[in-house]
Amino acid sequence: MTERSVAYLYHRQNKKEVEVVFIDGVDRTDVAKAQESWHKLLKDTKSEHAHWNWNEKYQLVAEAPLAYRIFGLEAEGQMQGLMLVWTAGKFCRIESQKGKPLIYIDYLATAPWNSADVIAEPIYAGVGKVLIRAAVQLSLEDELQGRIGLHSLPQAESYYRDNCKMTDLGQDKAYYGLRYFETTPEQSASFIRG
Amino acid sequence: MADKKTMTLNMTDAEMEALEELCRRKDLSKTAVMKQALRLYQLINARLDVGEKLFFEHELTNKKSELTIL
Repeated sequence: MTERSVAYLYHRQNKKEVEVVFIDGVDRTDVAKAQESWHKLLKDTKSEHAHWNWNEKYQLVAEAPLAYRIFGLEAEGQMQGLMLVWTAGKFCRIESQKGKPLIYIDYLATAPWNSADVIAEPIYAGVGKVLIRAAVQLSLEDELQGRIGLHSLPQAESYYRDNCKMTDLGQDKAYYGLRYFETTPEQSASFIRG
Repeated sequence: MADKKTMTLNMTDAEMEALEELCRRKDLSKTAVMKQALRLYQLINARLDVGEKLFFEHELTNKKSELTIL
C-alpha cells in the first residue's frame, strides 16, 4: 500500500526549501523508473552505490512486505532518494540497548543529480536527513523508541557520524567490513529535534 | 496510517508467560511483540519459498544448525 505526504528538501540553485512528495511504500514501477534514470548517471562514476540494483531490492519488499519497507522522495517527477528498511529481526548492539529491536536501514541512496560525488552542482539537499527521520519515526511508531541501525559505505561514514550523530560501533567483519552505526533513543530524539 | 483491526488471542499460561517475558526483555507491548513475530514469520517463509535455508550460527564456534519451519 502506498501513502503519500508532504516533505521538504532544500533546492540548492533556488536557495530555498521546496515541497516534495514523501512516499511510504514506493511501488515497483516507480522503483524501476528510478533505477533506470539513476543508473544512466551512476554507471561510469566512482560512487560506491553505483552497482546497487533497486529492482532487486524491491523484490525483498514484494516477498515480505511486513519485514521490509521502501520509502522515497519525489520531486519534479523524479525520485530524489530511496530507502529500504528492515522492520524486524535486527537488534541493538549498543551496550545500553543490547538485544532490543531496531529499524535497520539496509539501503539509502540519494539520486545522482543530488550528489556532489557525481555532478558539480547538485540540485536537492537534505534527502538523507528526511529519510533517516522517517526511519526514526517508523521506529517510534513501532514502539522501538527511535532506535535505528545501519552499515555505512565508506563515502557516507562521516555523514552518519558527524551529521546524524550516530554511534560508530566500528568495522563489522561479518558484513563486508563496513562500519556499523546505531542510535540510542536519546540520540534519535536529538536528531528529530534537529 | 493503515486501518487497524482488533483480535483476541487464546493462550496457555506457558505461552502467555513466554510473551510477557519477551515484552520485558525487548521493552515492547504484547501487540508489538506479536507484530515483530508475524513480520519475521512472513520473512522466513518467503525465503524458504524461494529455496533458501534458515541457520543459526554460534558466534564463537561457528557451529551451524538448521532450523526447520512449519
